[in-house]
Amino acid sequence: MHLKSYLNFHELLADDSTPREENRAFGLAHVLLKNKPIEQLVSWQEEHSNKLQQPSTSEKFASYLYGVTLTLGIVAFILGLLSGIGLLSYSGHEPVNVIYFIAMVVFFPLFTMSLTLFSMLRANSAQSLLVHVSPAFWMEKILSFLPSKIQNSMKEIKINPLLLNWIVIKRSQLIALFFSLGLLVALLAMVVTKDIAFAWSTTLHITPEAFHSFLNTVALPWRDFFPSAVPSIELIERSQYFRLGDKLSEEMINNASQLGEWWKFLALATLFYALILRCMMYLLASFGLDRAIKKSFLTLKGSSRLLKEMNEPIITTRALNDEERFVPSEENYEQIIHVLDASYDVVQGWAIPKEQLVVLNDSFSVIAPKFFEVGGANSFEEDNEVISKSHGEVLFFVKGWEPPTMDFVDYLQELAQKVDKVIVVPVGTAENNYEIKQRTIDVWDRKLSQLAEEKVWLKR
Amino acid sequence: MAEKIATQHPKFAVVGHPNKGKSSIVSALAMDDSVQISDTPGTTVKQRSFPLKVDGKVVYELFDTPGFQRARRVLAWLEKHEVSADKKQDVVRAFIHEHRNDERFNDEVQLLEPIMAGAGIIYVVDGSKPYGSEYEAEMEVLRWTGQPSMALINHIDESDYSQEWKRALEQYFKMVRTFNPMQTSLAQHMNILESMAQLKEEWTAPVKSSMVLFESYHKQMIERSAFLVTRLVYESTSSIEKFGFSTEEASDEDKEQIERNYKNRLRELEHHTQEKIEQVWNHDHLQITQENLTFEGMDLFSEETASVFGLTQKELIVTGATSGAVTGAGIDLLFVGHTLLLGSAIGAVVGGVGAYFGFKELAEVKVLGHTLGKKYLQMGPMENRNFPYILLGRALYHTSRVSKRSHAIRGVAELEMDATFKEKWLDDDLRKSLEKYHKIFRSGKEVEVEVLKEYEVLVEKALLGLMGEEDN
Repeated sequence: MHLKSYLNFHELLADDSTPREENRAFGLAHVLLKNKPIEQLVSWQEEHSNKLQQPSTSEKFASYLYGVTLTLGIVAFILGLLSGIGLLSYSGHEPVNVIYFIAMVVFFPLFTMSLTLFSMLRANSAQSLLVHVSPAFWMEKILSFLPSKIQNSMKEIKINPLLLNWIVIKRSQLIALFFSLGLLVALLAMVVTKDIAFAWSTTLHITPEAFHSFLNTVALPWRDFFPSAVPSIELIERSQYFRLGDKLSEEMINNASQLGEWWKFLALATLFYALILRCMMYLLASFGLDRAIKKSFLTLKGSSRLLKEMNEPIITTRALNDEERFVPSEENYEQIIHVLDASYDVVQGWAIPKEQLVVLNDSFSVIAPKFFEVGGANSFEEDNEVISKSHGEVLFFVKGWEPPTMDFVDYLQELAQKVDKVIVVPVGTAENNYEIKQRTIDVWDRKLSQLAEEKVWLKR
Repeated sequence: MAEKIATQHPKFAVVGHPNKGKSSIVSALAMDDSVQISDTPGTTVKQRSFPLKVDGKVVYELFDTPGFQRARRVLAWLEKHEVSADKKQDVVRAFIHEHRNDERFNDEVQLLEPIMAGAGIIYVVDGSKPYGSEYEAEMEVLRWTGQPSMALINHIDESDYSQEWKRALEQYFKMVRTFNPMQTSLAQHMNILESMAQLKEEWTAPVKSSMVLFESYHKQMIERSAFLVTRLVYESTSSIEKFGFSTEEASDEDKEQIERNYKNRLRELEHHTQEKIEQVWNHDHLQITQENLTFEGMDLFSEETASVFGLTQKELIVTGATSGAVTGAGIDLLFVGHTLLLGSAIGAVVGGVGAYFGFKELAEVKVLGHTLGKKYLQMGPMENRNFPYILLGRALYHTSRVSKRSHAIRGVAELEMDATFKEKWLDDDLRKSLEKYHKIFRSGKEVEVEVLKEYEVLVEKALLGLMGEEDN
């Protein structure tokens, strides 16, 4: 998992307009990744990476990061080299106190590595103090003020603070590694080019035996493989040095050739504590960064939506095509009757039985000599017979709640040809005393408007 | 062969007399609010297919059709051809073939075509109006098609003539069911699908699988709503508005402007989320009015809103005290109880007082930034402790209403939430759980996806509770 993938994904999500269908198709095509959200997102990012503008933000960032790391690495190496030379400088008056060097290659790395471990545990906190006191963090801050061109291009990059913490931690390890390498090179170079008299000196009352025991513990990782790289008790005794007296003891001068033997111990101490352990910390930081990148994939805005789109089946229930719109006439029917006459030549009912027509006549106080049921279960022959028997003014009851069908319209038109006047009377249900809502009559009004039949009137 | 397999999915044609709610039923079953529904007969002029698709694969297909216009004439035409029962379908096909371009029978051809292509019949009648003999011709025509059929009694009005309809319909149809498309719930929807599954043996499995799909679709919609509501509460609460100014000090107008911008941004977030939730529930055409949500002039920032839809001052103090006590308990643990639980007491007091002062504050206006001499005002994250509850309450109310609304209903939805709504979803336990997350949102810090997921679970639970309550 690389930071580049994260940045590419970030950029892709920011302008993502991939249709849901396409994302789902991707999910189905990579069904084996279904329960592995990070792998799914990485795979999606790889598939869509061709959509990124060139050079991509990740490339710009990678180049920036490389530049910064290289600069800091070189600076750290030089510092390490100079520190090493400084620590191993032999004035000719006093021997080189190995305790300084041991402190630099054993205790200082152990201390900074402990801090690193602690900051790793606290890396999930966005405001991790330990991360922000790291030299790499501040050196990077200082460097970021310098190149304005790079700064402008970097403004587009927004990195998750948790991820940033891990980047800093990892970079710190790399810088420390370069520093330690500088120390080792300085040691080897000094040993090769100079005759250094190593000694040890401390204000504390430490006996050579105790110091030997301590060094033996420090040399634990290599003492079985390189016994010559562990200072012997004799060497320790002979190389103890007291400042008072202002001159080297005779025993030291007599054993000058042996004092140089310390370099093996110092070299292996540097190799193990400053380099090998630091390499392990670097690997640990890489692992942490890798995990943080994976985690950050899921925290990016849009990633949850994308996962849902990839994993949830697309269920659609809608019509595929647009509906053909029917626009009903807004015109009002002009041939309206508000009050019925007392009598009519014929009374007819559309799908209304004769006995009900009688009740309706009573209800509307209308009398008529003839009553006919038409439509409904009648045959066309029966309807035609009724038309042939009709004449004059026809009062035509219809069930108001039933919308006027074309079957009714056909009959009405045929009837209108035969008689003088047809008054269509929509009625309500018996339960409602045949009363009808205006809204329902409007439906009949609109239908009759479409007919434009001169002889047909509507009772409102 | 491929084509044959592709056409094997069950099909159902919703047919009937004009204006009896066919389109409403299709609209409700297909969860599509784009279907034109009108009280004018003949609104539907062409058959329209509503396939249930999963990842592009059709599980079943529903057809909305025009109503019968000249059923008696069609029946008369069919009856002119005296044939044995096994040939009746051929006669119906012949009718379609002969009248395909005949304007007079456009509606009948449109409704018979999907049936003769293998669709089951769902015959719709209005059970709130009396049965009439004019329906018999239609039912006879349908019997001629020989396709499996069922009748649905719809109730457009309040009167009930179901019994007389049942007696008549049972003469013609294998099954008679009642369904009100205006009051659909998942359970009702499932009942109808269950009936449809029984129409033909071969359709049982695919329709049953569609029932499972509908249930998962419903779950999907709830999850997506919870996701959107969570993002709304988080983004609104943590939202920060910046407003640059170049003078020595920000003027009052600048401060008013940033406050206006800040409030507008929050309103936009809410509006945008509501639209998305409506889309999730397939209510793309929904129009809502929220002016009368409770009181006139109420919006996110009025004090009435704060007291009625969020938490009362007393509740806030209790909530604040509880969350403060949690911090205090941490101190006690650190000293292994040597503080004699004093930590908890101090925590409770501090939390409670914080809540009391937090009640009226929105978000402090801060002057920040000196990059290249520019200054800007910053407003946010939201400091009002009540705000997330108000927003969440409104979002839950909106979602529960939208989820419950039938797709057959047209017209403007009036969202009128009353003071009792809070009691339906917010209890003490939930309030305590929510407060923990609201505190994180208010901090303005980056919130981990797991935290949002946990909040989403709480929202989903509240939504399910609201939906369940409305169903009961």
